[in-house]
Amino acid sequence: MGKTIQFMAVVALIFGLIVSPAFSAETLKIATLTDMSGPYAELAGWGNINAAKMAIEDFGGKVLGMDIEYVYRDHQCKADLANQKAIELYEKEKADVIFDSPNSAAGLAVSNQALLYKKLYFAVTSGTTRYTGDLCNRYTFHWAYNDYVLATAAGIWAADNLGKKWYTITADYAWGHDLLKYFSAALQKRGGTLLGNEMVPLGASDFSPFIIKAMNAKPEVLALLNAGKDTVNSTKQAVEFGVRKTTKIVHALLFPSDIKAAGPEVFADNYVTASWDWKVDQPGSKEFVARWMKKFGSPPNWFNAGNYSCVTQYLLAVKRAGSKDPRAVVKALEGYRFSDFFASPGYVRPEDHKRVGKAYILRAKKPSEIKEPWDYFQIVGVVPAEQAYQDVKEVGCKMGDF
Amino acid sequence: MNKGPWSKQKIILVSAALLLAIIFPLVAPYVALASEILIFALFAMAFDLMLGYAGMLSFGHAAFFGLGAYSAGLILKNVYPSVPLALLAGVIASSLAGFIIGFLSIRRRGIYFTMVTLAFAQMFYFIAFKWTGLTGGDDGLQRVPRPSLGPLDLKSQIVFYYFLLFSVVVCAVILFRVVNSPFGKTLQAQRENRNRAMSIGYNVDKFKLRAFVLSAFFSGLAGGFYALLLNFVPLNSLHWTNSGEVVVMTITGGMGTLFGPALGAVCIILLRDIISNFTESWTFIMGILFMGAVLGFRGGIIGILRSKLGLSI
Amino acid sequence: MNIQFISMQLFNGLILGSIYVILSLGLTIIFGMLGIINFAHGAFYMFGAFVAYTIVAYLIPNFWVALIVGPIVMALFGAACEAFLLRRLYNLPPLYIMLFTFGLMLVLQDFIRMVFGAAGVPFRTPSSLDGSINLGFMFYPKYRIFLIIITSFCSLGVWLFLSKTKLGAIIRAGTDNSIMVDALGINISRIFTFVFGMGIGLAGLAGVLAAPLQNVSHLMGVDFLVDCFVVVVVGGMGSISGSIVGGLIVGEIIAFGVMVWPPMAQTLIYIFMAAFLLIRPRGLFGREAFHE
Repeated sequence: MGKTIQFMAVVALIFGLIVSPAFSAETLKIATLTDMSGPYAELAGWGNINAAKMAIEDFGGKVLGMDIEYVYRDHQCKADLANQKAIELYEKEKADVIFDSPNSAAGLAVSNQALLYKKLYFAVTSGTTRYTGDLCNRYTFHWAYNDYVLATAAGIWAADNLGKKWYTITADYAWGHDLLKYFSAALQKRGGTLLGNEMVPLGASDFSPFIIKAMNAKPEVLALLNAGKDTVNSTKQAVEFGVRKTTKIVHALLFPSDIKAAGPEVFADNYVTASWDWKVDQPGSKEFVARWMKKFGSPPNWFNAGNYSCVTQYLLAVKRAGSKDPRAVVKALEGYRFSDFFASPGYVRPEDHKRVGKAYILRAKKPSEIKEPWDYFQIVGVVPAEQAYQDVKEVGCKMGDF
Repeated sequence: MNKGPWSKQKIILVSAALLLAIIFPLVAPYVALASEILIFALFAMAFDLMLGYAGMLSFGHAAFFGLGAYSAGLILKNVYPSVPLALLAGVIASSLAGFIIGFLSIRRRGIYFTMVTLAFAQMFYFIAFKWTGLTGGDDGLQRVPRPSLGPLDLKSQIVFYYFLLFSVVVCAVILFRVVNSPFGKTLQAQRENRNRAMSIGYNVDKFKLRAFVLSAFFSGLAGGFYALLLNFVPLNSLHWTNSGEVVVMTITGGMGTLFGPALGAVCIILLRDIISNFTESWTFIMGILFMGAVLGFRGGIIGILRSKLGLSI
Repeated sequence: MNIQFISMQLFNGLILGSIYVILSLGLTIIFGMLGIINFAHGAFYMFGAFVAYTIVAYLIPNFWVALIVGPIVMALFGAACEAFLLRRLYNLPPLYIMLFTFGLMLVLQDFIRMVFGAAGVPFRTPSSLDGSINLGFMFYPKYRIFLIIITSFCSLGVWLFLSKTKLGAIIRAGTDNSIMVDALGINISRIFTFVFGMGIGLAGLAGVLAAPLQNVSHLMGVDFLVDCFVVVVVGGMGSISGSIVGGLIVGEIIAFGVMVWPPMAQTLIYIFMAAFLLIRPRGLFGREAFHE
């Protein structure tokens, strides 16, 4: 009998220790929800957290007399966890705004919670056009890039500069299909022809049959519409089959972490779109990179830069609005034109809440051209915002009220 | 001190557990997590019916959970925003799937049974993945509403928690009565010695199938609740690794005790939340804990409580 | 679709199949002898690839050294796991060992993620095997041809070892009836350790061989694991010839399925597996199992 009570006392004590009161005075709470232990950990993870922290520090740690508090959470690239963490951040932590959330399924879930809690969410590292399309809402903004831009900018530039006869290898699910749609449209605009397309199941380990089929059609450009592990596998195998001797390769998504993971010789002379690169020469860029490298040792990628820009612009909007009330801040951002080191210039479209700007075309360097660590890309082209971003009328966003 | 199934000790413990459950939202890291714990406690209990009582390891239960979630979500989104209707659709879908898969798989035993359930679960996963128009594919089913249930405003996380608590307790009572009934006893008998059970005259396969469908029913219900909790249905709920998580909860809690797996769900989810705020290596820690559970305290947490503390639960 | 294309596909199916064969050989030997379904098999495969990477990147930048040392290291690692961990679970129902290996899988994967990161590491084909050869009717990458040859030798080696050597005979006897072998005075637990080590060594070998073709990351074994189960079920659990034939069949199904009916190719494998389990669980070459 005594033992039972002892046991219950211990349990009660343990539960008591789990209590975490959220003490709140008038402060502004900023949160980053990102992937710290899943596939995007190197790409997003600590980099994006540091970016937000640095932006808050640079801003002075206070806005409108309020202290700025900062928290972060890991969603491990799992959409259900992201959903729960968003609820935790909005409800328990009383965060006013959430930034980032890589992985589109996770981000869309966070966007929905933002709508339900009537608080703000800025999507940075994920690219789905649904944030600003069929699932748009007044509380969500899409900052760094989107899938349409990736496909269209690369498509337009490559059709002009690399060749007009294309073949595509596409990851066979919604994201891949969207990219294919956008790529084909871009190609058509520039008078190119799509010789054929291969749909490949997601996560396939053997791309050789598709590569062989593609090469049989003798294209000038091979577009690999996939990401992550699929990009690495398909490119490794394309090189194996000698694709590079006759054809240029264009990627939908290619990150410095992919290049590091597979080795630069795999990706040498391939092309991809990016919103920004640490080598870009626009006002404020080099200074930002220098300061970042001094603090963290290696250069920022465009998601880190995007998060910094996003947090800073949010704080400036709060200042302009004179309040942290989400509706006021949203109104201060809609239609806002600005210029910072990341978006030079940038414009927040009121109709769909996209931050639009120009897109860069990058070429992956050959190993011999790499002069310093992380020096993986050369900037070879620029696509202006009006061409890179989808026309507002076609976006399909019915932006509701608050 | 053991007078039948309801000894004084047991009554005190169950009352304490209920009391803790009632104040839980106040002490849990956040209310939605407490709700998630209830949902997985239900899922784990449903799973234990198969693993602990019928003695069959299924890696396909994620299919029932996921079917329940998607069916409920689709009803809420596209048909009519009614909670009872959605949950009903969820359990019908999962029970039907349970019947079909069970009917085909029951004839196999041991690892073959496990493999078949895994194969079927993977099929469901890939169908959901490809059928983007219906399920949202990789994005999952987004924007699932959580309508009110009569006077209860379920949009409030606290109200939803108590609604869940009531529902899960009712389910737990039902499951408890099932395992202590003649049906439940027969199930355990065939687990211990199939041939002997058959020689007494029991149609063992029929019992196993009924247990399977019942297990699928409650798994689907848990899935339906999950869709309501998240306001969305992630594709991953159908993946076989989701079954794996439930296995971990059931074993760590103590299989074959119903209460154990529920406790396992509480511990695993709480630990995951707390630990992942400090480190990115939660999977590693969970793996070690799980291996320890299998190597060391095989009765799970319940086993420890029984042997070390002399509790009789 | 011409002859050249079809034969190319045939070869590609063989490549994928070869990896499956080596992986499944390990899985099936472990199951046949020890009755263990090793959920961690894919993780050991992945671990083998990382051991090879570590050797090449930090110790001796030579693929051939990694090819020989890697599997040996994995075999020893496997033997250690069996001796110190798995052995304690033998008196329990097989469920517990299966569950234990599931936990082991999580630990191995996350450990590699903690050490090497989540993105993966680079692994190149050895320069001596770079490029393609002209086979007359088509060009085919040298490394892939090498893979087919090595796998064939390996399978032959395992088969010869088990059927022609004394140790192999003991192992086969132990698979049939371990109690009897023990009663005959042979140290059965040492045999168990050896067999488990050998199975893991084979998994490691598959990992090293696959590394130049794939993204080497901590999750590279997850998909392979389930496909391996398919192979072992189709071929027959515990059967060597089953693994070889099953592995090649599954490889070819994937290769052709993906060409013929892409949307359902993945699901096709599972339908195949379910069909076998329901109609003929012993697979093509397995013995009639107690479980049926």
